[in-house]
Amino acid sequence: MFRQYLVLVIPGLIIFTIGLIVPLFLSLRYSVTSWDGMSAEKTFVGLKNYVNLFKDKEFIDAWWFTIKFTIGNTIIQNVLALLFAVALDSGIRWQKVYRTALFVPCLISAIIVGFIWLKMFSNVLPEINEWLGTNFNFLLFGDSKTVLGGLLIANNWQWVGYWMLIYLAGLQSVPGDLHEAAKVDGANAVQRFFHVTIPMLTPAITICVVGITTGSLKVYDLLVSSTKGGPGRASTSIIYQTYTTAINGRQYGYGSAMTVTLVVVLLMVAMIQVKGLRKKEVQV
Amino acid sequence: MRKNMWYTLALTAAAVSALGLAAAAEDEPVTLTVLAGQSTTDAGIEDMIDEALAEKYPNITLEWECVDWGNDFQPKMQQYMQSGLPDIMIGKAQDVATYAPQGILAEIGAEYLDAGLDAARENVTIDGKTYGLVYNALYQGVYYNKDMFAENGWEVPKTQEDLQAIIDDCNAKGITPFASHMVDTWSIGNVTMQFMMNDVFNNDPTWGDKFRAGEVSFSDSEAAQTAYQYNKLIFDNTFENTFSLEQTDCDAKMVLGEAAMKVSGSWSIQNFLDIDENFNFGIFPFPNQTGDSKLIFEPNITIMTSASTEHQDAVNKVLEVLTTDKELAVEIYDYTKTAAMLKDVTPTFANPSQEDIDKYASEGMIVDVTLGNNQLVWGGFQEENAKDIAAWLQGDATFEDALAASDARVDASSAN
Repeated sequence: MFRQYLVLVIPGLIIFTIGLIVPLFLSLRYSVTSWDGMSAEKTFVGLKNYVNLFKDKEFIDAWWFTIKFTIGNTIIQNVLALLFAVALDSGIRWQKVYRTALFVPCLISAIIVGFIWLKMFSNVLPEINEWLGTNFNFLLFGDSKTVLGGLLIANNWQWVGYWMLIYLAGLQSVPGDLHEAAKVDGANAVQRFFHVTIPMLTPAITICVVGITTGSLKVYDLLVSSTKGGPGRASTSIIYQTYTTAINGRQYGYGSAMTVTLVVVLLMVAMIQVKGLRKKEVQV
Repeated sequence: MRKNMWYTLALTAAAVSALGLAAAAEDEPVTLTVLAGQSTTDAGIEDMIDEALAEKYPNITLEWECVDWGNDFQPKMQQYMQSGLPDIMIGKAQDVATYAPQGILAEIGAEYLDAGLDAARENVTIDGKTYGLVYNALYQGVYYNKDMFAENGWEVPKTQEDLQAIIDDCNAKGITPFASHMVDTWSIGNVTMQFMMNDVFNNDPTWGDKFRAGEVSFSDSEAAQTAYQYNKLIFDNTFENTFSLEQTDCDAKMVLGEAAMKVSGSWSIQNFLDIDENFNFGIFPFPNQTGDSKLIFEPNITIMTSASTEHQDAVNKVLEVLTTDKELAVEIYDYTKTAAMLKDVTPTFANPSQEDIDKYASEGMIVDVTLGNNQLVWGGFQEENAKDIAAWLQGDATFEDALAASDARVDASSAN
């Protein structure tokens, strides 16, 4: 039996080790060197790269942008996904059409989504502005004060449908008897939503919150095709900063130190969220 | 006698079969890998090269990997330096200074270099060995709408005062003085190097070395600060949506007469002429503080070969086709709207700015920007500085912050 388990596990374990574990340890090793990514020389510098990170304004700004993007996404995406799921679960007409329309954007690559919204904000919406004779500011990617809002719109447009499906599956698995019992006890629709539906949805909430948070912390491809981290550095995420530092800036060692901090943060955030939310899950 | 005859026959047979084998080896199919770091004008030339090569050497196939030079060439090179270089790499002249010292590039044979102009050889030669074959060149400066200049009685400006007078007149007449697309941070980096060339490097060609030695800095150098400040002059006199405007849209606005000038390079000509083949434009160097600005010349497509290729003969044949097939060369120059770097080859496309280029060339007022790009490298330095300049223009950082950020990046300012 053990041998059978081993046969099943080993291929995956090998791929996981080569693709993830080995690079992770290599990253750790490079992070204590001043390697430029090209030469054979990898001079050991101890913790100097990590110390420098705390003095690096660009690194701190990149983290600050990433945190704002993550918080914005986690709140907006969860709320919208849940609202859409509730609406679709209420038995409205054309349910399948709405569900498909909301889900389709997540099938598109984030690079394409970036292009779409770059064109939307720069060409399409300003053109509509002109037709209508209105004066809305749609140039969201062109200003450091509005670029975060623009990116949140693009990212939410892409992913709300995906998380909505998870909430929808959660809603459809809530036993009808619980709602009936609450109704008999005199609970109105709002009370039933907060005291029956939400507690029963906690496993789905855990999945969505952790998924959206870790996904947002890793944002990169959306930025490449839309803002390129700009204007200036206004939308430079931590991964974008790591990439430009390590590859374009030929500071592979320093960039590796940035990667290590990201891995640590991702692990911490995921662990805290899973632990916190699991406690709130109810079993039927 | 009979024995000798058998010997002769045997020798002849051996010679014939050896020749046959050699010919067969020559015709053996070879696939060469090519990493092409392309400028916006270059996409498509790979098909032209394939076609010309297939005609002369049908046994050689090129396996192309075309990437954007600005964003992806350096990352790809770093990746291949770990796993093995492609047989041929196409980048810019400044790449030679980055990669040749690593010992990974092969020297280019004199027979191919001799087909090219001497002008660009200096900056691809290290310790007497030439590692790059420069194929074409771009010119950079201020493109201007000739008809608009004539209608308004504006002369080509030589000094900052002359330029300011045109800007003032434009603003008074409701014309946007400069077309620009600052959404592309590379365009900020590019124009900044143009400014640096005329205000800094023309006076001090080793400014970058002095910067690394701690003798000069952006925070202390008036000339470098002036070069940065020109970005503000452009920003204050361009389209309001410059940080949302892409190059094609920007070039279209220029052609449609919505702006009088554009600090740019030959890569804009392709768009200008695609939008309106009759667009009448010229070029002049962005005026510096001393009124002696030079037009900027940039060796562009530069062919480098791997020092460890297993197919040197085939690589040489590709170099031979590129340097001897004049029809191919003209086709590429006409398509990319760039200047020839091969001897006795002249592009046939109508370039209204050519007479300006010829004038500056005859006056010796042209300078090779590779000097500046080798002193202060693009990847990791110029492009990062451009982000800080953008942040300053956006009001997210002070001018002093932008200068200090450039100073702090000193370790990344050199390729080696």
